[in-house]
Amino acid sequence: MTHPQARRDFLWSLGGLGGIALADLLARQGLLADPPRPDPAFNGGLHHRARAKRVIQLFMNGGASQIDTFDYKPLLTRLHGQRFDPGEHVEAVTSTPGNLMRCPFPFRRHGQCGRWVSSVFPHLARHVDDIAFLMGVKSKSNVHGPASYLMNTGFILPGFPCLGAWLSFGLGNLSDNLPTFVVLPDARGLPYNNQGNFSPGFLPARHAGTMIRVNSPTPIAALHPPQNARHITRASEADGQTLLRELNQQHLLQNPGDSRLEARIAGYEMAARLQLHATEALDVTRETEATQRLYGLGQSPMEAFARSCLTARRLVERGVRFVQVWSGASGASNNWDNHTSILDELPAMARQTDQPIAALLTDLKSRGLLEDTLVVWSTEFGRMPFTQGVEGRDHNGGTSVGWLAGAGVRGGMAVGESDAWGWKSVSGHDVHDVHATILHLLGIDHERLTYRHNGSDRRLTDVHGHVVHEVLS
Amino acid sequence: MRACWFPIVAFVLSGVGCREGAGAAVDPPAPSVFARTAAVMQLFESRCLQCHDSRKSRGGFDLSTRAKLLHGGESGPAVVPGSAPKSLLMRLVRHQQEPAMPRQGQKLTDEQIALVAAWIDAGVPYDRSLGKGNDNVAWWSLQPVKKPIPPSVDAKYPEWSRNPIDAFVLAKLQAAKLTPTPGAEPRTLLRRVYFDLIGLPPTPEEMDAFVAAWDSAGAKRQAVYEHVVERLLSSPHYGERWARHWMDVVHFAETHGHDQDVPREHAWPYRDYLIQSFNADKPYARFIQEQIAADVLFPDDAPATTALGFLAAGPWDESSLKDIREDSLDRKAGQYIDRDDMVGTVSLAFLSTTVQCARCHDHKFDPISQKEYYGMQAVFAGVDRANRAYDPDPGVRAQRLALQKRKQELQGGAPVAARLLKDAGVAARVSAWEQGLAKNAGWKVLDPVAFASAEGATLKKLEDGSVLSGGTKPERDTYTIEAVSSDTITALRLETLTDDSLPHRGPGRQDNGNLHLTEIKIAAAPAGAPMKRQPVAVARALADFNQDGWDIAKALDGQRGTAWGIYPAVGKPHAAVFVFKEPVSFPGGTRLTVTLEQLHGGGHLIGRARLSATSAAVTSADITLQPLPPHVQAILTKTARERTEAERATLAHYALTQIVDAELAALPKPRLVYAAATDFQADGSFRPAKGCRAVHVLKRGDVRFPLAPAAPGALGAVSGMDGALRIADPSKEGQRRAALARWVSDPKNALTWRSIVNRVWHYHFGRGLVATPNDFGRLGATPSHPELLDWLTATFQEDGGSLKNLHRRIVTSAAYMQDSRHRDAAARIDADNVLLWRMNVQRLDAESVRDAVLQIAGKLDLTMGGPSVKHFQQSPGIHRTPKVDYQAFDPDAPGGQRRSVYRFIFRTVPDPFMDALDCPDASQFTATRTVSVTALQALALLNDPFMVRMSEHFAKRLAGAGDVKQQVRQAYRLALNREPAEREATLLEKYATRHGMANACRVLLNSNEFAFIP
Repeated sequence: MTHPQARRDFLWSLGGLGGIALADLLARQGLLADPPRPDPAFNGGLHHRARAKRVIQLFMNGGASQIDTFDYKPLLTRLHGQRFDPGEHVEAVTSTPGNLMRCPFPFRRHGQCGRWVSSVFPHLARHVDDIAFLMGVKSKSNVHGPASYLMNTGFILPGFPCLGAWLSFGLGNLSDNLPTFVVLPDARGLPYNNQGNFSPGFLPARHAGTMIRVNSPTPIAALHPPQNARHITRASEADGQTLLRELNQQHLLQNPGDSRLEARIAGYEMAARLQLHATEALDVTRETEATQRLYGLGQSPMEAFARSCLTARRLVERGVRFVQVWSGASGASNNWDNHTSILDELPAMARQTDQPIAALLTDLKSRGLLEDTLVVWSTEFGRMPFTQGVEGRDHNGGTSVGWLAGAGVRGGMAVGESDAWGWKSVSGHDVHDVHATILHLLGIDHERLTYRHNGSDRRLTDVHGHVVHEVLS
Repeated sequence: MRACWFPIVAFVLSGVGCREGAGAAVDPPAPSVFARTAAVMQLFESRCLQCHDSRKSRGGFDLSTRAKLLHGGESGPAVVPGSAPKSLLMRLVRHQQEPAMPRQGQKLTDEQIALVAAWIDAGVPYDRSLGKGNDNVAWWSLQPVKKPIPPSVDAKYPEWSRNPIDAFVLAKLQAAKLTPTPGAEPRTLLRRVYFDLIGLPPTPEEMDAFVAAWDSAGAKRQAVYEHVVERLLSSPHYGERWARHWMDVVHFAETHGHDQDVPREHAWPYRDYLIQSFNADKPYARFIQEQIAADVLFPDDAPATTALGFLAAGPWDESSLKDIREDSLDRKAGQYIDRDDMVGTVSLAFLSTTVQCARCHDHKFDPISQKEYYGMQAVFAGVDRANRAYDPDPGVRAQRLALQKRKQELQGGAPVAARLLKDAGVAARVSAWEQGLAKNAGWKVLDPVAFASAEGATLKKLEDGSVLSGGTKPERDTYTIEAVSSDTITALRLETLTDDSLPHRGPGRQDNGNLHLTEIKIAAAPAGAPMKRQPVAVARALADFNQDGWDIAKALDGQRGTAWGIYPAVGKPHAAVFVFKEPVSFPGGTRLTVTLEQLHGGGHLIGRARLSATSAAVTSADITLQPLPPHVQAILTKTARERTEAERATLAHYALTQIVDAELAALPKPRLVYAAATDFQADGSFRPAKGCRAVHVLKRGDVRFPLAPAAPGALGAVSGMDGALRIADPSKEGQRRAALARWVSDPKNALTWRSIVNRVWHYHFGRGLVATPNDFGRLGATPSHPELLDWLTATFQEDGGSLKNLHRRIVTSAAYMQDSRHRDAAARIDADNVLLWRMNVQRLDAESVRDAVLQIAGKLDLTMGGPSVKHFQQSPGIHRTPKVDYQAFDPDAPGGQRRSVYRFIFRTVPDPFMDALDCPDASQFTATRTVSVTALQALALLNDPFMVRMSEHFAKRLAGAGDVKQQVRQAYRLALNREPAEREATLLEKYATRHGMANACRVLLNSNEFAFIP
């Protein structure tokens, strides 16, 4: 009886860490079957040639206002202050719809392509020629919880694997020294849904995102023993590793035929390597002063997000497959959920992220990493063209803007559009299309990356999703 | 849980590999007999029929019958019968030609491709038509359970003749030319059965006693072992272990999940219900019925109410169901999704059936229609998830019911009171109540004659003399209320009252129900000369509740930045009392002007205010005392003789109502359980359905496109069962649930009874007889031992659904008691040990690791039951979700050393230690846990503060054992239940001498031998 999935589970049972080493180990023992594996002929893709090898996703938690950033709507300037009457039912989930409100920030054309970007993103605006904008991305929900799950997992319910977990499952790792999938939360706290957004769902737990709090003294849980455990020393750790290996080897001899035992031995060796390499990878002071300045390190208010962006680059450079960087914690402030005042709340968030994101693009490009690194900018939904209260905007699942840059992406273009008010998507792209496109760039056919759970062959894109071919270079 | 490391496979191919080209010379049109046709049919059903059945036939191709297959599709004939190499189908499945097939999912394995080739070479024989509607009735799991006769046992294996389980297992082994493995050594056996039944290792003393008894028992060893099994099954820790498995199945956790992941402080009674139910060996049918409809089926068994935690175990979307606008589509969608989770909980946990697949369309593989799915949703049309009150004490429950009945009776008004007054006892209580009145302050409501908002909020006077604020919600506001009183006034009371129109029912208007009173100003003037207004000096202020840092004195301190607040005690009325320095009185009456400044911002405004005054001295007991309504005050001014009959009745009615309320309030508070609820306190716009909500069949599962209304129902496909539910009055939601509970627990429901037997087998062996315990449908696995499954199921039913008997039967079988050692020859035939030629080696699950470490370290606290222990520090978050810090938790903190089943499970922030060991986060139904090995898991076991601290405790515990040699020996006996080998002892001693025993203990607890149970 053969169960390819079982072989695969053994193989990748070291998760992000050391899948390759173990794969070799097991291959030598003839335990390898033929699960879909990254194919060198496809440049590491599963089903066709991969354009991207790794991904950095920048997630703006709270629902970044498309109208006030990238989706220029001159009609709103004309109709500012008037009642919104599109000829059909209008509702907002947390408020009574107010009058139409123009973007309070000036829009200007940028780059050779002439993309419209509002004044809140002066640094990023210089990169529009490298960016493909998705102008009318709709959601299925107007509520943070379900919409954030949707944008991360393709489902509005908790318990489904997120994009990073699917990539870990499908493509495995690029490095034996660092995790495959890393999450850098906002320094101020976790996003709506907390860790639910980066859950492996029903995929094996090893595909979970490793949370790294780059602004904390202990960025990775349990990476090192607690400080107060004085009996644990460098020498006791080194001798302990040796002793453990000896005990386990002896046990292995007495219990042959169980690859899990070997996998577990390898797991401890990889843990030791992670201790070494993670510490180095997270040390941004090893960067030149110019690089640190470029991102905005040491400068208020972008310091924290700059550290995340620079860390993200260091991680992908060292073989992390997928890094998700969060801007914004859950709650009434310090995020993109600008219910009260677009005028006050949005520029603050934009300032924190504008320079670091622009620097990330510059830095990746100058190192040649942008060739095979995909950068994705996402948010769970957009905001309404009319006011909430005096000058805020309520949630809008009808349309939002996201963008892609880097590996395999045609820059300086935009695809899709919203209606004249920025209320609903006209082109009808949705999160499944975004996911299908990202998977496509990584050499994966989104309909063929599946996992059976409780009676269904589950996909990241559920039963939906079309690759947005226009954005491919 | 002993997690399963087997894959989930859609179909089980019998045997390995397939001879390429077998039977190649067959005459094409006439199919030969092909032994593995059934396997090919299953392969087509699981991988091809999604797109190529009679309904869809993508590319014009349909392979549901032989004729259609031979006809082919748009690309021409798909097969050349008798010649795999010439068949298009082979090139497609080999990915030698586009479109590569199957389009979805992984490429077929080499074995599967070889199988299809052999089948084509054999002339493409079909044994039936494929696809929906053709043979659903014949699907194994829907067939009635029949009790087969166990096969006779080969005399070579006498110990396999004891237990009918073994007869079935051995027959399959022998048919596959496999031999069983001899019984395990006593040490292995005892450790195995301890972890399996109670989730803890044996102590060294228990091990010594068992081994000694075993060694001296000779032929009676089985009895020695069975004695231990009995002891473990009657241990209270058995319930703890097996309740934890069930918590996986029903995705139980103690927070809502989603973006407002609020703790459920009253979810734990359901966990205790499970532990008690398992320990009491509650008959399985009753266990089912209680969890779906205890309140309806067993109304007199109040503690069973806690069973309803089952339906509420899963996530709940607070934003969508409480906070967003009630009239939005997202609210409606939230309600459908909430019921979907209940349908999933019932159908997966009890029926092992994936009913939820029929949410958007008829189930693609199993005979479940969309109509049936929404029929099951309609069963739950009247329930929500909320804190449900219950009285564990039957006496209290009876009193409460009587008082509630009296209260309802009194709603008939004064005539009822007049009738009741004829009872001398009642009359005496009324007059005692009147005498008691004289002792308190006697608040009189001040009728507002003028009231205004400075910022344009709409103030409305209500019948009870309160003023309700609505309309525009300004950031800040000041209310001015004027009232006239003819009495001397010694104190003024401000009540802030609740109202359904306010967020969280108020009493504030802020989104969280809070308010901030920055400053109160009181002025008085003669009623006839309002211009002569003078400020009134306040001597002291009292309030029934003060928000931390926002006490009532802040409303009198003249500071604009400080105020009185009531958070987090929102959703209930509050009151503040202002005692005047000097009594205020004017001949001809007093006109009071009360100014309520609310300048904090953010809409922290009073939602509903009422003023009252007193002429008496005020004590703190008077703060919240109910004021007498004007008509009662009027009656009280008369002597008893002056009152008319009607006035006496009115007064008595008021008094009796007050008395009933007081008596109700004096009863022990009802306990709360977070459960399926129909009657609960409304929270903002989240309120009971009061009946049944309309449930429609939704086109493509989209709430925007409702089709016909759904009638409550169950599934029609179970052989011998009617899918229609018999409900006398479908308008009663409870009857709907009761009917479903009866349907699920019906003895004829083959799904139900096979499901639980298979689950129990899964936990004992690490793999179910059906490898997909949540899916008995076409995408699930088929049983490896169908006769055994049915024999066990039938026997379980004959036993009245006794789980303990089932355990007993399984763990005393020779199959279970086998050694787990690997044999190359056997592995070549059955690598995954599906046929059980040995026992499976299983890795300890997260809870067993933690509990065992605690016991080994001598720290395990065996306190049972009660509120869960939070292994984290919790502090207020920015919004509804609190902040949770696991690192700040001291492993030695009180309660921190209790068994893991009592751990508080926070859905969106899982415990990193348990998470690393594959403990599920309860977002999904977990039938089988994955077992992963990661570097992060290694780090958690090495460095988590819990492990480090417990290693230290373990070392301290060893200190009394003697010298290092003795200590190492005792460490092995505690951690691994054996003596160390000489070489091991030497290594450990050397290490312990150099780096201390705590480090040595840490190594031992990280060893493979500790993690795996052979």
